[in-house]
Amino acid sequence: MAVKKDYKDQKLAEKLRDRKYYVSDTNPEFLKEVEKIGQTAAHMCFQCGTCTGSCPSAPRSSYRIRLFMRKAVLGLEEEALTDPDLWLCTTCYTCTDRCPRDLAPTDAIMAMRNIAARRDIIPRNFLQTVQLIYKTGHGVPNNDTNRAARKKLGLDAEPETTHKYPEYLPGIRKILDHYGLKERADRILAEGE
Amino acid sequence: MSENNKHQYAFFLGCVAPNRYPGIEAAAIKTSEKLGIKLLPLKGASCCPAPGAFGSIDLNIWYAMAARNLVLAEQMGMDIALICNGCYKSIWEVNHKLKHNDELRDGVNEVLAEIDMEYKGSIDVWHLAELYYDPKIVGVDRVAESVTRPLTGVKVGVHYGCHLMKPQKDRHFGDTENPMWLDELVAALGAEPVQYRNKMQCCGAGGGVRGYDLAHALDITNEKMINLQEVGADALTEVCPFCQLQFDRGQLEIHDKFGITWGLPILHYNELLGLAQGMSPDELGLDLHAVDVEPFLRKIQ
Repeated sequence: MAVKKDYKDQKLAEKLRDRKYYVSDTNPEFLKEVEKIGQTAAHMCFQCGTCTGSCPSAPRSSYRIRLFMRKAVLGLEEEALTDPDLWLCTTCYTCTDRCPRDLAPTDAIMAMRNIAARRDIIPRNFLQTVQLIYKTGHGVPNNDTNRAARKKLGLDAEPETTHKYPEYLPGIRKILDHYGLKERADRILAEGE
Repeated sequence: MSENNKHQYAFFLGCVAPNRYPGIEAAAIKTSEKLGIKLLPLKGASCCPAPGAFGSIDLNIWYAMAARNLVLAEQMGMDIALICNGCYKSIWEVNHKLKHNDELRDGVNEVLAEIDMEYKGSIDVWHLAELYYDPKIVGVDRVAESVTRPLTGVKVGVHYGCHLMKPQKDRHFGDTENPMWLDELVAALGAEPVQYRNKMQCCGAGGGVRGYDLAHALDITNEKMINLQEVGADALTEVCPFCQLQFDRGQLEIHDKFGITWGLPILHYNELLGLAQGMSPDELGLDLHAVDVEPFLRKIQ
């Protein structure tokens, strides 16, 4: 099912086709940030490719975890963060378990996603989950069909969570508001409309 | 305390089990009771929160939100038991990280102070499946003894999922290339656990990919279906409701998007255990599954 990579952004497509390495494109701080957030010594990567060979996303897309590791080491922040493939990691951790250098490429990806998110590069579905949790406490909330099914099973219509005890919701909202996350989610989603 | 509720845990529900497959919740409570485990409500718990969605945006928010759930159990003075690999990643891993990293814990407690909570690190977190396997708590023999209706004559593929056992170096489950402990738990019910190609492969849904690129996620799921069909599996069992959602509802989506029909019944281990302990399909809410479980039930001798 592998599809040809087709970026809508022509400038980005051209940039990614250009295989040359320009020092002016690099930010050495990027590697340090990835290593700090990901808690993994990404610079130890010797590009063996065990990660990409183990990756369930690799055979069906242009996502290459090894390439992202290299971009982190070279400080190619812009390329790494703006590549839509960054969000195709299922975080299965197979690469992490198999890495002969004992690195955690999965956590390096998570770190790059965190850094991308600071620039408001976050897929919509991630932000929609934030909105649902803010509203209900659940990323996958209850619904009427399910309430009826629960009663049939002898369970209460609402589970013993924030659904039954909404008095816990203000605490959850306070945590999210501390980071301004709900407001950011609303804003970014509105901008994309 | 009677023999039947010697082991008590705060039951962390998560989202997908209570809100999409409530049969898993009902089965977990009833089947565990027969194994000497009492699951008590963890009132006011929320989403774990989803490690893919939240962890990807800001790990610090993920820590703080998971810590709030942990504090609720600390206030009960009870270890947490849960039934979902995704929840395990959030709740177990954040507990582990906060216990071993003072800087992280202080940061989280600063935020929790705003809602008059403090994370102390006084409890542990367990997946029910590991408690069933642990001879100090239940053990495979006792699981087998609880069976009143053996699942003989059926081949069951086992999906371990990702976030329970991986990354291996941070966990305590040992081998992640070809584990067999869950297969043993399936064999204890009288079913035949079948080995299939790439059994440790991801379901495809994690890391936010199901929401980000559904066709991509389903293509991974479809590969698992191919490998399971090759060995003639009558059903797939897992210990993660989110994997269940991806395999079960995903088969309908695979049908719509790729025109492929599999019809492979998907059962959470607690549902399988419930059947083996004599619970009826209705008591387990099996009618809520997208893929009909009937052919599997008929095959049991």
